[in-house]
Amino acid sequence: MNPRPRGTTVASPFARLLEMLRPDLVRFAFWLARDRAVAEDVVQETLIRAWKSREELKDQAAARPWLFTIVRREHARLYERKRLPTVDVEQVEALGDPALATDGDAGLDDLRRAILQLPDEYREPLVMQVLGGLTTAEIAAELGLTQPAVLTRLFRARNRLRVIYGLAPAEDAE
Amino acid sequence: MSNECRHARIAIGGEPHALPPEVSAHLATCAECRRFHAETVSLDGRVRAALELPLTSFRKATPAPARRFAMAASVALALVVAGGFWLWSPRSALASEVIEHVGHEAGSWGAQEVLSGPALAAVLQKAGVQFDASMPVVYAMPCTFRGRVSPHLVVQTANGPMTVMLLAHQKIAAREEFSEHGYRGVLLPAGEGSVAVLTRDGEVPDAVAAQVVSGVRW
Repeated sequence: MNPRPRGTTVASPFARLLEMLRPDLVRFAFWLARDRAVAEDVVQETLIRAWKSREELKDQAAARPWLFTIVRREHARLYERKRLPTVDVEQVEALGDPALATDGDAGLDDLRRAILQLPDEYREPLVMQVLGGLTTAEIAAELGLTQPAVLTRLFRARNRLRVIYGLAPAEDAE
Repeated sequence: MSNECRHARIAIGGEPHALPPEVSAHLATCAECRRFHAETVSLDGRVRAALELPLTSFRKATPAPARRFAMAASVALALVVAGGFWLWSPRSALASEVIEHVGHEAGSWGAQEVLSGPALAAVLQKAGVQFDASMPVVYAMPCTFRGRVSPHLVVQTANGPMTVMLLAHQKIAAREEFSEHGYRGVLLPAGEGSVAVLTRDGEVPDAVAAQVVSGVRW
């Protein structure tokens, strides 16, 4: 951390950047972990790691995908380190998780639950693209897949959600 | 279904907002795929809204006792490391995004010329919003905020220029004041949405905030 004159409380531009992006990092972590407490843990670890590695971020415009990839890796690391049990999606629903609450918008509520029920391999790239704004190439690089493979997963994710949204699914050789 | 249509639909379902040129060309000639594209774009707007969880609900939940200490220690450590900025402020998630947005259009504060009725109406129409707060509007843009068109206005008041954002799809439960990055403002519930009123000088008077809320119709 840079030394700061005593008494000053002005945050650095990088700190402000973290603060600004934090809400979406928490959301992303939640959609990965499907557990609020784990999401919070992951984001705290992410912020610490990002702060330590801040010199690696040469272009602030790339901060969002950079932080999202750190969240994803911290999420994986947390499970490796603590051997946390995976969350049963039925359990999340049964708890009436307030994180899924909407303001009376039943359609949005259904969509959130449907997203939670997507297999990890579909949900993860979808959240990275829609919430994180990552390109197909960035997602492919992060997931170790080809770009066509990522597009297929995204297509299948949306195809499953189409039904919840009241649309006919597209033809798929899945 | 032709192979061309099948290819187009996979591309649309994969990345509906960035289609390859050959798929765009196909859409020009295939009404069914155009409809599929329109449906997918519409679905994507809802998916985005679904993914943007209301973080206020996170705070309501009580963490499991076993991890309370770990979480507290983690937060404290993060605060020490990052220093000087508040890491956990889900309350201000919407406010922070409003401030970020307004910061990107800093030039709007300098607008002086009162907009004509038709010019303002054109902006409001794009968002499907009506606004008649009887205050002179000197800046109006149909901005995209959280994936929705949201009028970004600057109005002249006796207390100086104030930014008004009409957030048709952002329902909030209660009034919320904020003060960040040189801006002071307030978020107010307004029917099916909310409004944000910000100033760079002093505070947003209650009378101005009330005038804005009473003037908006979704």
